Amino acid sequence: MTKLKKIMAVLLCTSLITVGFSGCGKKEEKSASNSGGASDLYIYNSKGESAKEFEKIAQAYEKETGVKVKVFSIGSGNDHMATLRSEMNTKQQPDIFTVQSVSELREWTDSEKAMDFATAEGLTEEFKALADGVNKKLRLTTNGKDNYGIPYCIEGYGYIVDKKMLIDIFNLEFVDTLLEDLRECDYKEWEQFVKALGEYISDGKATSVKINGNTYKMAKKKTALTKKLTGVFAIAADQSGKWTYSDHMINVAMNEVFETAADAKAAKPDDVKRLRGPFITYAKALNLKTSYMAGANGPVKRGEDMISSSNNYDAAIQNMAKSRAVFLKNGIWAYNSIAAENPEVADRLTFLPIKMPFVQSEIRVKGYTVGGMNSTIPVFVPMYYAINNDADEAHKKAAQDFLVWLNTSEEGKKFIVETLAFVPYNVDAATVTGKTSLANSLIEYVRRGNTLTDPYHGAPNNWSSNMVGTKIYESYLTKENWTQQDYEDIADYAIRKWIEAIED
Amino acid sequence: MQKYYKKWFWFFTSPALIFFVLVVIIPFLTGVLYSFTNWRNTYFYANGNGTVDGYKTDKWYEAFIGFKNYIKAFNSEEFGSALVYTFAFTFVAVLLINTVSLLLAVLLTNIRTGKGPLRAIFFMPNLLSGLALGFIWQFIFEYVFTKILFGKNSILHIEFFCNMTHDRWKALFALAFMATWQMAGYMMIIYINGLNNIPTELYEAADMDGANVWQKFKIVTMPLLMPSITIVFFLTLANSFKLFDQNVALTNGTFNTRMIALNIVQEISDRADLGYGIAQAEAIIFFVIVAIITLLQVSFTKKREVEA
Repeated sequence: MTKLKKIMAVLLCTSLITVGFSGCGKKEEKSASNSGGASDLYIYNSKGESAKEFEKIAQAYEKETGVKVKVFSIGSGNDHMATLRSEMNTKQQPDIFTVQSVSELREWTDSEKAMDFATAEGLTEEFKALADGVNKKLRLTTNGKDNYGIPYCIEGYGYIVDKKMLIDIFNLEFVDTLLEDLRECDYKEWEQFVKALGEYISDGKATSVKINGNTYKMAKKKTALTKKLTGVFAIAADQSGKWTYSDHMINVAMNEVFETAADAKAAKPDDVKRLRGPFITYAKALNLKTSYMAGANGPVKRGEDMISSSNNYDAAIQNMAKSRAVFLKNGIWAYNSIAAENPEVADRLTFLPIKMPFVQSEIRVKGYTVGGMNSTIPVFVPMYYAINNDADEAHKKAAQDFLVWLNTSEEGKKFIVETLAFVPYNVDAATVTGKTSLANSLIEYVRRGNTLTDPYHGAPNNWSSNMVGTKIYESYLTKENWTQQDYEDIADYAIRKWIEAIED
Repeated sequence: MQKYYKKWFWFFTSPALIFFVLVVIIPFLTGVLYSFTNWRNTYFYANGNGTVDGYKTDKWYEAFIGFKNYIKAFNSEEFGSALVYTFAFTFVAVLLINTVSLLLAVLLTNIRTGKGPLRAIFFMPNLLSGLALGFIWQFIFEYVFTKILFGKNSILHIEFFCNMTHDRWKALFALAFMATWQMAGYMMIIYINGLNNIPTELYEAADMDGANVWQKFKIVTMPLLMPSITIVFFLTLANSFKLFDQNVALTNGTFNTRMIALNIVQEISDRADLGYGIAQAEAIIFFVIVAIITLLQVSFTKKREVEA
């Protein structure tokens, strides 16, 4: 009996151990067959929501050229940096990886992973032409000379508005002149327009507003659509929305001082101090916006209730999709979630500029004017393809060929516009039509030219969202009335935190 | 039998030992090493000085920076505030959890019907993950507390219970309530077990001597319950110190409510130069503090244990 027990024990133990080790062994085998050895090109994709589309493109490319492509897409909503870091710690590293912005780039330039297309040797002629052809305002660069990325696409944001809503409020036949006037009007007229809308929604008081010199009269009788309104702006006011009222909103004001993200990245404390005026401008615009917030059952006033988790990002999308708000400050990416709630509204959307009370003397960027800044929207690159310096020559060549194919061949371009539903960074605004209402609105702004950029991407890590955003969330969205002192406090806090971060 | 155990000792312990070394000891030691270097997760970075530029390296000793990470950690405002907050939370939570779980245990050993179902109900919150719990309680604090029970328009208006997640110190109690709800059931089971092990003769003897309820509890129950108290204190202390999920789900560190574990995770993105080394240093400091306090506690309560 004891002997049997002994044998059993030994058998059980060995089986346990072998199971344990074979588990590890299998994993290794799998990763080896998936990458490097078998594939000719390994692409790391950070847009998890486009995982399937990337697979399709890889298959098509393989069919056409015979190059075996492996695509790894992160799960939608996952932290792309954390996953990428662990991929970069493995033996089979991606040949093409992604960089979000110039502040993230530092990690890959310090580690010498990111290839500088301006100085690297052995680049193919086609790829060199592609890299040199990236618009200066859209480049991934630390100093204007080096060049580390090929853009995924361009994105933009502004006040999203439902055209039908404007038609109903003003009882119009055509909306185009009003849209044009709203694009061109100055901040004062915008402010009066917002206030009039607020009164119209809360008290049903129909007044006339002057926009860009033309007078528009509100309809006395509310329609089925305008009856649903509970406020002027749909706002994600809880923690999940920090990036909407900090990163993206403050970025508009930062454009007064920094032309590109690289300029912001290179800023010295004295340059940062120049942002005081623009930040006060930002605070004033934010004050107006948060004073007229739409909620699910009625207007939401600033206070403890505003930052409750029920006013999260999804709720803001819903308020827009269900026509409870006139405007939603958000970007081209919001189309899909609005369309999921209400496809009719989604197809009637267009962008209006995020207007702020800019002051000409505070604008440091050459050629920018108050009127110009108030009639356009920020357009930027959300993600870049970078090439891994540590890949061997064959893989580097494959990476270049793929990027050239994707961005210049007719088939590749079609994939970008049709399959991925992106707006290509090298878009020919005169001929290309986007897949969605918002994409077309964005292309229209590109066609008009003089769009703004994304200097907030050059600010220190976490500065805008986690520091300024948190401050606004904790101290100001809960405060009923904002004073001149509050505007200044917000500006001073933002500048102090930025300087602390670069002097660290 | 003794001989049998001796002979097979290494054979049976080695699998556990090997895995313990592989997944706990070695990563821990690497962590200690990293905390003394400029580590950037995928590579080491040797800092430049006046004459040499900074460069990436594979050799840890080139990126060795001594105690700099520790000094930075101690000088960090956030880390200091997180330390204070964690200690305060642990103090409140340990008291609350122990009182509640002991009360529940005494209650459940003294009732006749419904013991089983009640035990199961009290234990259930322990089966939920901390994140799910955080979101449930966010709802309770924001709606049930603020709008229904204690709000301005409710019958019983108590300012303290309104918007508990929107203030540093109120949120501390909010977190403690949540932790109690989660852990009390588990600790209750340990206490019940301890209470059941106390011989009834002792209570009978105490009755004979004319002891009242409080005297019986103080003189008979408490000393004999000490082994359970040791375990429960140890578990609640360590768990409260290490609280993370609940912290993320309830406030995510806003209103200055970061506890140490959350601070360590966020340190990396807080710093422009990637705070992996500093975060690692904070983790080591954290480990030392938790180890010292829990060891002190165990030796302190052990001394008070008596045999029945």
